Amino acid sequence: MRRKRLAAALCALLMLAGCGAEAPETAACAPAEEDRLVIYTSHKEEVYWPIVKEFEQRTGIWVDVVAGGTNELLERVRAEADHPAADVMFGGGVESLASYRDCFAPYACGEAEEIQARFRDGEDLWTPFSALPVVLVYNTKLMRPGQVTGWRDLLDPALRGRIAFADPAVSGSGFTALGTFLLAVDGEEEALLQAFAENLAGRQLEGSGEVLGAVAGGGALVGVTLEETALKRIAAGDDVALVYPEEGTSCVPDASALIRGAAHEENARAFLDFTVSEAVQRLLAEQFCRRSVRGDVEPAGELPALEDVPLVDYDVERASGRRDGLLMTWAFYLEEKEGT
Amino acid sequence: MSRVTKPSFRRRLFAGFLAASLIPLLACSAMLLQIFRLRLAGDAERETAEQLDLVSRSLDGAFGAFTQAAERLQGNPIIAEALTGRAEEDTLVNNELFNATREARSYGAFALYDLQGVRRYSTRRDPLEERLSPEWGALYAASEEGEPPRFTACEDAADTAGPLLQGAARLRDGMGRPVGYLLISLYYDDFRQLLEDKYGAQNELILLSAHWRPVYCGQPALAETLAPRLRSRLLAGRSLDDPEEGFQYAAARHEASGLNLILRRPQTFTGETMRLLYTVSFGCAVVCVALSVLMSFKLSGQMFRPIQRLRQGIGEVEHNNLDVCVPAEREDELGELARRFNEMVEALKRNQEALVANQRELNQAQIRMLQAQLNPHFLCNTLDTMKWISKINKVPQVAVMSTNLADILRFCISPEEFVPLGRETEILERYIEIQKIRMSGAFAFHLDVPERLRDCLIPKMILQPLVENAVLHGLEGVEDGAVEVTAREEAGMLRITVRDNGSGLPPDLAVGRYHSRGPAGKHLGLYNVNTILTKYYGDGCGLFLENERSGAAVTAALPVRRREEETC
Repeated sequence: MRRKRLAAALCALLMLAGCGAEAPETAACAPAEEDRLVIYTSHKEEVYWPIVKEFEQRTGIWVDVVAGGTNELLERVRAEADHPAADVMFGGGVESLASYRDCFAPYACGEAEEIQARFRDGEDLWTPFSALPVVLVYNTKLMRPGQVTGWRDLLDPALRGRIAFADPAVSGSGFTALGTFLLAVDGEEEALLQAFAENLAGRQLEGSGEVLGAVAGGGALVGVTLEETALKRIAAGDDVALVYPEEGTSCVPDASALIRGAAHEENARAFLDFTVSEAVQRLLAEQFCRRSVRGDVEPAGELPALEDVPLVDYDVERASGRRDGLLMTWAFYLEEKEGT
Repeated sequence: MSRVTKPSFRRRLFAGFLAASLIPLLACSAMLLQIFRLRLAGDAERETAEQLDLVSRSLDGAFGAFTQAAERLQGNPIIAEALTGRAEEDTLVNNELFNATREARSYGAFALYDLQGVRRYSTRRDPLEERLSPEWGALYAASEEGEPPRFTACEDAADTAGPLLQGAARLRDGMGRPVGYLLISLYYDDFRQLLEDKYGAQNELILLSAHWRPVYCGQPALAETLAPRLRSRLLAGRSLDDPEEGFQYAAARHEASGLNLILRRPQTFTGETMRLLYTVSFGCAVVCVALSVLMSFKLSGQMFRPIQRLRQGIGEVEHNNLDVCVPAEREDELGELARRFNEMVEALKRNQEALVANQRELNQAQIRMLQAQLNPHFLCNTLDTMKWISKINKVPQVAVMSTNLADILRFCISPEEFVPLGRETEILERYIEIQKIRMSGAFAFHLDVPERLRDCLIPKMILQPLVENAVLHGLEGVEDGAVEVTAREEAGMLRITVRDNGSGLPPDLAVGRYHSRGPAGKHLGLYNVNTILTKYYGDGCGLFLENERSGAAVTAALPVRRREEETC
């Protein structure tokens, strides 16, 4: 009995000594649930950060940003389908988003009529953000202007093994580029794939980010990438020039989508509206070297209007439908090259 | 026994000491720890609040000056003219600008932008800020007339060359038409100049925007890493403090700028301090335990030794040794206990001696009474008289009988208790003579006492009752009865045996040692003799009965004593 009482007293003492820290009053600073928004974004920080900051400033909504790779985030959205943690998927090519249609809720944004029809989805499952034409780049120190003019030049044996091309299985822009190449160049598809793989000499890059580096560094003479990426490097002063392929190119936009069952749907819609607002679209054109999806925002600087760029009729739905088959054929020819 | 009680006694002492020392120690440690912690935390909190207040007031000063400058420029015709394109002297405009911002200029850079977002006049040159979009950022958020400039955080808090916070006010001319913007930019150096020394050298101040985005920090790199962590903790509803970081945060809101001030201070009570304090407490506890063990051993030893001695003393008393004396040199309770024990033992001893003395007196009185029963003087005188009358009247038997009887009686009433065996046998012969006359010489008497035993001392009148028994009961109905008295010395014991050739012992007397059944029995003579023998000589002496071939034999056994020995 005595011993028990003693033990109890000791416990009380220790507890007395152990506790005492209290949480500061920060709860008052934290925003209410209806003032919050969670965004998954595959954009780089330099793109999403000014937009998110301005959005917060204008609306008073607190944005929680989770950044990551497109496929990684889309997988996460699918995994969380029952209890979505995010409200908006901000970024990612339309082709990628199309594979996850089930995860998104349709929303026609506020200024939908201002957006060029070719970029819009039939069911409004996503809101286009910027237009990203596929372009060719070359090193201006190693090649003369006019040496590369179109897709067909990629089959030139003189460039064999010196073409920077991102693995279409990994890179969304690589896949779009491959599809565009097949549409733009006349000829039988299998033969074209075989010839292109032959000219890559089995070399392809792990991601689209490496293409410009390879070309600017002289490791490759020519590269295939997105207009936006190329323009940024040119603006940064690299020895790179871009060419719109004369046979025509594709212009697949990236987009944002409202996640099905989002907890902060109202705020998510406000954000989608904001991404296509004139202010943001102008910022894209002027600061981020991107093409606006709006009809009333002209491309910045000396960039040719989209109407002046030869385009092929690239069907996103069809391309994503035959993605697996195309990738398998491509891998087959490429590995054959690697083997020899 | 002692091995069991001793340790348990010691254990109890130990537990007592431990409890008496450890509990107050632990209680004190815990209380001190708690007081120490509360005190430190309280001090730190107060200090933090003061520092935050100081920072807040510094900011108030700066932002008050900004508002004042904006008000001065509002509706200024020269500025309005200059911004709407109608040419003015640059110096004139600059004068106006510098004049209006005279107090505020040390806190930040001021610039005038026209409606297209082109910078026209400025107090400082920043090549990157030549052109701003009126549809974006600071200019878009510009305040209207009558409001203080509205401040927005710039994109990169780690960029010490660019502005960190920008506030804009829309400027209008006298007619209320918008003419341009006043842009106030605060750079890293401005903040540092304003806030340095206001928040303590160990602490770190982080300014966050209304949405908890980083604006300024003394260490620009810290703003980039810490702000997102704090923001995510806030959004997750957790405390800003992370015990693993070793820092504590205090937040305050600055209303004029919309900024959140976060003061980071090193944890006042780090794990290391706690460990140190716990170690000290533990060390004290160990010392306490050691002291308790030592004290309990020492004290229990001190207490146990007197108790042990007392216990031995009690053991002696149990074995009837009343000469024990327990040393009682101590002055405390245990000493008193020993003293009282000694007194008790002494009292017991006195009591027992008194009891023995009493008993002896009683026994002697009893003997005297027995003798007194046979002691009437007057019988002697009467018998003498009878002897003379019978001689005168020529009746010789009566004369012999009365002479013998008188001798016997005289012998009986003589004062000595012990007589030589020879004298006793003489009286015995007188008695026999009387009995022979009474019984007409019907039995033979034989006396066998060696000469050297005749001076042995024996209690007076112990043989007569034995012989009387033999004559009256042993020889009852026997034709040639004979009684024999023999005395022998065996191993220092005098054995006097009275034999008869009668019918043996009666059935109510057992063979062997005579056991008295009290004076109420039939054999009063045997009883008396036996009692006298045992009282005088102790339990080893007394009467022994046996049956022989022809009749019974009663032996009186007593130590051989002679006159010169009887001096005890």
